[in-house]
Amino acid sequence: MNRTSARAALLLIAALASTSLAACSSQTQNASGGGTSSAGASANGTITVAGSTAMLPLVKDASAAYQDAHKDVKISVSGGGSATGVTQVAAKAIDIGDSDILAVGHPELRDNRVAVVGFAVVTNPSAGVKNLSRKQLQDVFAGNVANWSAVGGADQKVVIVNRPRSSGTRAVFAKTIMGSMPISESGLVQDATGTAVSVVKQTPGAVSYVALSAISNGVTIVAVDGVTPAPDTIASGKYPIWSYEHMYTYGEPQGNVAAFIDFVKNGTDRVQKNKFIAITAMKVTETDR
Amino acid sequence: MIALQARRSRRVERLALFGLRIAAGFVIVAMAALLLYLGFEGTKTFSADRVSLSAFLFSPVFGVDLGQPGSEVFVLGSLAVTFFAIAVGGPFGVAVGIFLAEIAPHRMTSVLKPAIELMVGIPSVVYGWLGLTLLVPLIRTHTSSPSGFGLAAAGIVLSIMILPTVITLSEDAFRSLPAALKEGSLALGATRWQTITRVLLPSASSGIAVALILGIARAIGETLAIQMVIGNATQIPRSLFAPTATLTTEIVTDMPGAAQGSLLEHSLFSMALLLLMMAMVLIVLVRFALRKRR
Amino acid sequence: MALTTAPSARSVAATASVRARKIVDSVATVTLWVMATSIIVLLAAFVAYLIYRGWSALTPSFIFGVPKEREAGGGVGPEIYNSFYILILTLIFTIPIALSAGVYLQEYARRGLFREIVQFSAESLATVPSIVMGLFGLLVFVYTFHWRYTALGGALTLTLLNLPALLRVTQEALSSVPDTLREASMALGGTKWQTITRVVLPSAIGRLTTGVVLIAGRIYGETAALIFTAGLSVTVNSPYDLNPFHTAETLAVHLWYTRSESTVADVERIGDGSALVLLIMVLIFNIAARVAGRALTRRFTGRAS
Repeated sequence: MNRTSARAALLLIAALASTSLAACSSQTQNASGGGTSSAGASANGTITVAGSTAMLPLVKDASAAYQDAHKDVKISVSGGGSATGVTQVAAKAIDIGDSDILAVGHPELRDNRVAVVGFAVVTNPSAGVKNLSRKQLQDVFAGNVANWSAVGGADQKVVIVNRPRSSGTRAVFAKTIMGSMPISESGLVQDATGTAVSVVKQTPGAVSYVALSAISNGVTIVAVDGVTPAPDTIASGKYPIWSYEHMYTYGEPQGNVAAFIDFVKNGTDRVQKNKFIAITAMKVTETDR
Repeated sequence: MIALQARRSRRVERLALFGLRIAAGFVIVAMAALLLYLGFEGTKTFSADRVSLSAFLFSPVFGVDLGQPGSEVFVLGSLAVTFFAIAVGGPFGVAVGIFLAEIAPHRMTSVLKPAIELMVGIPSVVYGWLGLTLLVPLIRTHTSSPSGFGLAAAGIVLSIMILPTVITLSEDAFRSLPAALKEGSLALGATRWQTITRVLLPSASSGIAVALILGIARAIGETLAIQMVIGNATQIPRSLFAPTATLTTEIVTDMPGAAQGSLLEHSLFSMALLLLMMAMVLIVLVRFALRKRR
Repeated sequence: MALTTAPSARSVAATASVRARKIVDSVATVTLWVMATSIIVLLAAFVAYLIYRGWSALTPSFIFGVPKEREAGGGVGPEIYNSFYILILTLIFTIPIALSAGVYLQEYARRGLFREIVQFSAESLATVPSIVMGLFGLLVFVYTFHWRYTALGGALTLTLLNLPALLRVTQEALSSVPDTLREASMALGGTKWQTITRVVLPSAIGRLTTGVVLIAGRIYGETAALIFTAGLSVTVNSPYDLNPFHTAETLAVHLWYTRSESTVADVERIGDGSALVLLIMVLIFNIAARVAGRALTRRFTGRAS
């Protein structure tokens, strides 16, 4: 009995040791492998892009066009959210990390701005509001307004539809509208842009904030201080909820990666078609806000 | 020749035993590695980020930006949905277990058993999908809940999901009772129902306790089916129909976007560690109940 | 007078209480029948509802097509492939380990500390929530080994998740083999190992197969443990990758992902179709488990069980 348990203990230690050994060896392998390949030098010609779901339509569209023109290049695009994009590109897990927000604390990442995205406050039509002041918006999302009638709407309960804490859309909305006021935690949380829109459509009194590119029929777009979200109101700086779309790379982008990023940025027709705004069209910068 | 064969077969014997023992040892290694990894990663909230344990467990404000990852809402949410599930699904499951062991004729058993097996097999996302497309709209139209997402939807889905566990284990508990117990009671003139409630139920109590505890374990760890219907709001629900969140749903909602090494990521791992501890406590309880039976 | 009425009153009371007990008994029986039937009705309703909603989505372009992120009309071909890929990989790891550990515990191990620890570890492992196992997989395979999200990482995580269940199946199957069989084999001069491989395992094969196939059904539908280990996407350019290090979103994960993360236009159709495919697969696994178990038992032991 004693010998058995002694042997078992030995076995356990041996197995744990081999696990950690394997871990170490793969770590060093990875480090040496990663050192030689910089962004854009993917040997097999595959570019992996992930991150912001708000950016997806633009990047997907551009990747299809780019692959049409460059048959030897494969581009894989997926969502996951802005923070995922930044985390994964910093870990060299992907080539390009899409983000709606500035990546803070990542000096190794190169910020490539490719477009501007506008965000709209959308409600279920039953809320009966078409315009809200910034103050009213703050009150609604802080949870201080229980019924739409308090802000000039119909007699309908307010249902806030939030995005997760790591969402870029939520961060932009918090920064541009809420300021220092916290967003109410009593709202539903939907993981992505698309589901936020569909829940707003189905739920009476629901309100959320989504990228202009994701809006479909069945929701009411709310003007902020009388200004409707549109490319010209955003470019002129009259409409406040917008942000740059970043395509982060690890270090300076090179080769196919650099070419693809330029392709996204310079395709202004495509940018506009997908309801984004070209950087060159902007008359104000982020610091003007 | 024979000696050679005997020696060879002895060597095979020894080699086989060595291999078998390694496989058994692997189970220990796996559990130990799980405890080590999650124990290490899950305590970073307290070691690296210097959050106090009581602030983590008992503060309702989950403000990771403020360095304050209070997880009370999620702990309460997990307990609430689990309580709901065991309060509804528990008695129901035990009753059907009794039915299977004591009342059901063979023909009924041969339909019910495969049905329960199928219920186990249905993936949790499919239960979630059913909840989302069937239950949430139903709650939205028939109650005061504006969205339909919330505690009740999650509780109902969970109640159904734990049924197979509770039914199968309580049926086993009844079947393992000696036949003399039942026969004696019936011979004394007791009706079947009296026999069940006054003789069999008390004797099977530890087995039923095991069924309920493992039902609780199933409920507390369930993730996606609930995440799809509970609404994922970080608030203590004021009513059955209010949206809230649990430890498991919070992990799934925020983990994909949590940066490696951030307080958010650390606190999500702490929640996973907490879930692991809860599961371990339940296992110890099961062992305790089983020992009592012997 | 009083002396004569008392007994008859008592007997009246007694018959009344017998009647009351009989009524309670029948009411209870009827209630239990209703409860048990309601489970079958509920399940039948679920199945009918899923078929009703998902039937029209089950087109060849859906089952074999490639998923789309934005436009309608995407399929789930690669996801179905990945589900099977991960399932087979998981079984390749799980079966030998669970079988060996089960044989060791049931046939070799004497009562003692080692056996006790193995048993306790297995029980603990069995109650670990699958999301917690998923995070463990994330820590080990993604963070420590730097594999990124891979089919292999997902399969290894699922191995840990399902090992205890298969271990239990093995132990139960082995303990159902009568000791007389073992004694007969040993008496004929067979070694212990020969007895196990040629006598005990063949007579347990039916139960083992049933258990394996039922667990396979569970692996096929597993989600939470795979989100952070096998990933949420498929490679559009090489969706049917044989390399175990490919990112492998499975069908069950896809159902969750489409619903909660994606921006695709026809979420409902993809969800309905995926849910129905998953249900059909589970039905197939359940039926196969019964049929195969029965057939193998008959073949190896000559008895019908």
